[in-house]
Amino acid sequence: MSHFVTEQAKAEPASPLGLYVHVPFCASTCDFCAFYQAKPTAGAVERFLDGVGQEQALVTWPRPVTTIFWGGGTPGLLSPTDLRVLGGRMRETWGGQKPLEWSVELAPASVTEARLAALKEIGVTRVSLGVQSFQPALLDGLGRQHTREQVYRAWDAIRAASFASVNLDLMFALPGQTAEEWADDVRTAVGLGPDHLSTYCLTFEEDTALWVKLSQGRVKLDPENEARLYETTWAQLGAAGYAQYEISNFARPGHACRHNLNTWRMHEWVGLGPSAASQHGGWRGANVADLDRWLAHLSRGERLTEDRVRLTPALLAEDALIFGLRMNSGVDLAAWRERCPGAPWPVVDALLDQLAEDGLALREDTAVRLTDRGRLLADSVGAEVMEAFATEAMSA
Amino acid sequence: MHVVPLTRNFCIIAHVDHGKTTLSDRLLEYTNTVSMRTMTAQHLDSMDLEKERGITIKSHPVTMTYPAKDGKVYKLNLMDTPGHVDFSYEVSRSLAACEGAVLLIDAAQGVEAQTVANAHLAFGQKLKIIPVINKIDLPSANLELCLRQLEDILTIPSEEAILASGKSGIGIEDILEAVVARVPPPRWADHPQTRALVFDSLYDSYRGVIAYARVFSGAIRAGDMMMLMSTGQRAEVKEVGVFTPKMLKVDELGAGDVGYVVSSIKDPADIKTGDTITLANKPATEMLPGYKEVRPMVFCGLYPVDTSDYEKLKAALGRLRLNDAAFVYSSESSVALGFGFRCGFLGLLHMEIIQERIRREHDVEIISTYPSVIYRMVKHGGDVVEVDNPVNMPDPGTIIEIQEPTIKAAIHIPNASMGDMLALIMEKRGIVEHTDTLDATRVMMTCQLPLNEILVDFNDRMKSITHGYGSMDYELGEYRTADLVKMEILINGDPIDAFASIVHREKAEQKGRELCEKLAEIIPPQMFKVAIQAAIGGKVIARDNVKEMRKDVTSKCYGGDISRKRKLLDKQKEGKKKMKQFGRVSIPSDAFIKVLKTN
Repeated sequence: MSHFVTEQAKAEPASPLGLYVHVPFCASTCDFCAFYQAKPTAGAVERFLDGVGQEQALVTWPRPVTTIFWGGGTPGLLSPTDLRVLGGRMRETWGGQKPLEWSVELAPASVTEARLAALKEIGVTRVSLGVQSFQPALLDGLGRQHTREQVYRAWDAIRAASFASVNLDLMFALPGQTAEEWADDVRTAVGLGPDHLSTYCLTFEEDTALWVKLSQGRVKLDPENEARLYETTWAQLGAAGYAQYEISNFARPGHACRHNLNTWRMHEWVGLGPSAASQHGGWRGANVADLDRWLAHLSRGERLTEDRVRLTPALLAEDALIFGLRMNSGVDLAAWRERCPGAPWPVVDALLDQLAEDGLALREDTAVRLTDRGRLLADSVGAEVMEAFATEAMSA
Repeated sequence: MHVVPLTRNFCIIAHVDHGKTTLSDRLLEYTNTVSMRTMTAQHLDSMDLEKERGITIKSHPVTMTYPAKDGKVYKLNLMDTPGHVDFSYEVSRSLAACEGAVLLIDAAQGVEAQTVANAHLAFGQKLKIIPVINKIDLPSANLELCLRQLEDILTIPSEEAILASGKSGIGIEDILEAVVARVPPPRWADHPQTRALVFDSLYDSYRGVIAYARVFSGAIRAGDMMMLMSTGQRAEVKEVGVFTPKMLKVDELGAGDVGYVVSSIKDPADIKTGDTITLANKPATEMLPGYKEVRPMVFCGLYPVDTSDYEKLKAALGRLRLNDAAFVYSSESSVALGFGFRCGFLGLLHMEIIQERIRREHDVEIISTYPSVIYRMVKHGGDVVEVDNPVNMPDPGTIIEIQEPTIKAAIHIPNASMGDMLALIMEKRGIVEHTDTLDATRVMMTCQLPLNEILVDFNDRMKSITHGYGSMDYELGEYRTADLVKMEILINGDPIDAFASIVHREKAEQKGRELCEKLAEIIPPQMFKVAIQAAIGGKVIARDNVKEMRKDVTSKCYGGDISRKRKLLDKQKEGKKKMKQFGRVSIPSDAFIKVLKTN
């Protein structure tokens, strides 16, 4: 098992606080992407940077930020100057103490020495490179714009800048991709020697170009094939020294993404930027996914206007299970039992026992985690967990 | 004596799809009964399901006014009759309300099983038959064949035939003239007392039961005290009227009239199709002929998928029953399905229609058990127990023999399909009594078949064997002793009472295998191993496995996805609610209908 995750967990502060910034700009839209994005015009970037400052001022910061994550969009589309401006804003949020981890997502085409230098300068510790595939034809099929050479150039530059941790994003089950091509991609990625790898099974999300292709029957879903690819990937990466710590995430010892672990453990994080989600101060919610409307809300002093829910111990316990079971280390039930004694634990226990009996989960002391087979069914398991919490609420 | 020479009562009879509804619409249009503006296709079939399936379930009588070429104005009452074997008694009552029948024959299809069956029903009611060859403008029309079949099969002189097309309006006036000239004036009008035949009824939540009636003699007016002759029940007449086709109040319904009677009766069970209405102060002594109690032939359990919908389902069944006296139900419970209802139907189509209406019109998601017929179990000591639910089958040790209902079927098929048809009849444990040649290309096989064997896929397979040219009509036959056993279905080792069925011993293994295989296919992949077994007396005779779910996971899941993810899981949960839980196994609520249909 991934004992190092536990090691790493020991180094975590008792109450971590994440900071996520959604940089919504993209040069073009990838066929699979459902994230909010906008055209990076000079005016838009400026308004965005101002907005982040405004939003930051609206947040009641409970304690210093421990991790930062800039995602998007492609944060790498910002100029070195803008990166410094945004970095300066961040500094105000961590209260003097440097964050444990500061990740930035970059697309290969946007990696330049000047940008990397800016990132180093502001204190970024972790870079995540969105490679997706090393096969040009498959990349093209996704509407993704970069060449294999660009990937290698970007990689060399990032390594030269010596960040503490570097991740590569890859995607599998792409239309037309053979199992061999995928295994090749994994081998190529491992050959580069990143500290962390994220491998995503292509997901068909509504409002994407891929979804349209799917509904037109131009591409087909094949869950059996996807299951096989998941399994071979897990085996291949495990053998290469990358331990899986979540459905799609693998790391060398000590390199798991703290920011994401924080999220999955249902700790707190502040999200800034259009469409960014937050969970802190007793609320969960998201900003509106539109640059102008986000700014309009901010000017009225409003944030987290979408999907706003009050956080209760029971909801957090439920989500800690739903999302925590996606992690190889699973969930420490004892802590949640203590925090939320009113949750329907007998029903949940019965469900977990049943999952264990079916070979989908393992129960060890006070912890529960899914087996490999169970992890492939994490959504079904999640729905069952939800049901367990719901039935009790109804009868209560 | 009341004489009504200027009224003609007639109906249109035909095989399914021979164009009855379209022709009816043309007649209405021609007589300006329905203005062109309000005319929508298939005016007489008002129920959604009727329109969709192109079949008539409820009667839709209509009174037309027709100035004939002889210079007189006639009142023509057209009876639209149900067109499916499930409803043959209802058809016979509608026919009994007429003196004549327009017999439609599709020019491209020729005489088919129901053409013959309906023609014989009409002969039986001593109706004057006006043969009409319909759809003559079809390129595939074969007039010569139709006319020859008319003479050979139905013994109707071919020169009586009228050539028509409901679609393009050819021959409509000829038909109306023939109705005036050939259909006799209303019969039995000189009977000394008032007698009216109930041929259908409608429930109205404000006015109670509205009886559709054909008055043979005397008259019925509002304020009269009427009496139903089958039970002697009396009721006050509140209103009488005619169909235009909308209900139109009139002062009286006289001899020969077709119309409706609103009375103080509120319970639809009190007014039965085929009953005779007379007047209480001067009652007739003899009922109009042909009345019989309708008995359902096919039974199944209907259960709400969501147990909290029980009351809603109960209310839905109650409302459906109000307009469908042939549909019966009583409460029952099942270990697997909880509380529900045992429902009886005239046939499989009737069963399907009712289930569909519960889902559509009453918005209750239901699950149905395997259909069953009424078996007779002869016990030691001579007691006979009727069983319409396999769950209630007595201990086999206490039974001497089991008898099953049979039907007598007339099957019309092309000569070339005889071999395959014979094989199908044999497979279904049938006996061919005789085979008659209809013409150079077609034969009619008269056979006896166990009712439970034709319930599921007989009709579909016959259609497939005959490339759609075969047709069948049947009536209930006698009970026959057979070697029958109860077959149970087990899911992960637990018998599911709702899935039990009574089958012939020799066919049990094959049926069990088919059932397991189909269930395994219909039940969506599950997170764990699920075995489906068929067993007789505890001995497993067939088994199959439900597919195991391999992958159900969203690859990417970060902070912003938590709310979105919860919505997705919620959807997944909702989807599951449409299924019935058997222990831990989710089975789609329409599984059995699907099992029946996937043949």
